[in-house]
Amino acid sequence: MRLFPFVVCITFAALAGACTVPKPSANLLAPTEAQTKLRSIQSRTFELTDRLVAMRGIMGVLQDLGFVIERANEELGLVTAAKFAEPNFLDVVEITVTVRPQDGGKFLVRVNAIFNNKPVEDAEVYQNFFAALERSLFVNRG
Amino acid sequence: MFRSVLAACLMALAGCRVAQPTTFFQLAPEAPLHKAAQTRFFETKDSDELLSASAAALQDLGFHVEESVRGLGFLRAAKERSALESGQKIGRVFLIIISLAYVFQPIDLQQQISATIVARPANAAGTRHEVRVMFHRVVWKGDGTVEKNYIPPGEQRMEMIRDPLIYQQFFARLSKAVFLEAFTL
Repeated sequence: MRLFPFVVCITFAALAGACTVPKPSANLLAPTEAQTKLRSIQSRTFELTDRLVAMRGIMGVLQDLGFVIERANEELGLVTAAKFAEPNFLDVVEITVTVRPQDGGKFLVRVNAIFNNKPVEDAEVYQNFFAALERSLFVNRG
Repeated sequence: MFRSVLAACLMALAGCRVAQPTTFFQLAPEAPLHKAAQTRFFETKDSDELLSASAAALQDLGFHVEESVRGLGFLRAAKERSALESGQKIGRVFLIIISLAYVFQPIDLQQQISATIVARPANAAGTRHEVRVMFHRVVWKGDGTVEKNYIPPGEQRMEMIRDPLIYQQFFARLSKAVFLEAFTL
């Protein structure tokens, strides 16, 4: 019975502790090394005459790869597409491509792919995409 | 005993994980064949007219346009239709009889057919344009039961439509609408 006030105090202290929200760390939004590496894997610079050429090339290559284009925004240089992994139709690959002008008539193309809601971080996957895009842009230039 | 059960559980869990394939940005061997069926060329400078006629052809086929970007020559349209097929219905009845009403297999109920069109210049002078259309569909299944376990409706399946006849029909309409002959690759 003597222990009762002590137990009550401990219970209230535990409840009060549970109510406090843990503070986010100061470097929560700071870029990590892994993010920087992923950004470089997902980006490639192309020498092109204008953004429209780049976007048409991207849309063409996405269609060649069997993607369905969902959205395209010319002003923002944005293309979103998705693909069902046939033949089981259960896995979905979603891709967002952005085209941004750089200095000296160059355009930075950044791609990020998501496989079943998980980001794709394999460098080989992005290399394949850029190889296909390079081929498509070269063919259409000719 | 415990270790073997744990190992079996871990293996089962590992089996459940879907490995990320690395091939989805690689051209499939059948890609040129699909491209040929989905693409036609038109000898015209007027890309706007081509895009507008494409929208009209899709409207004729019962689609409603959901998104369009003139500068990129992009159109996306969709239509919903019943996905009921007599073959599946007969199969379901047959299965109910064979299983003595143990299995009521869910069958396809509703589908959304979508069309994506990209029209772009095919040469530097812009005198020839390429129109590529891709059709795909999402099918929703109805409900069913296995013994006393209820299978709720809404299971989805997605697939590309590869039937060349559907593409030929679309391009025939488009060709008629722009008064131009469509050329293949």
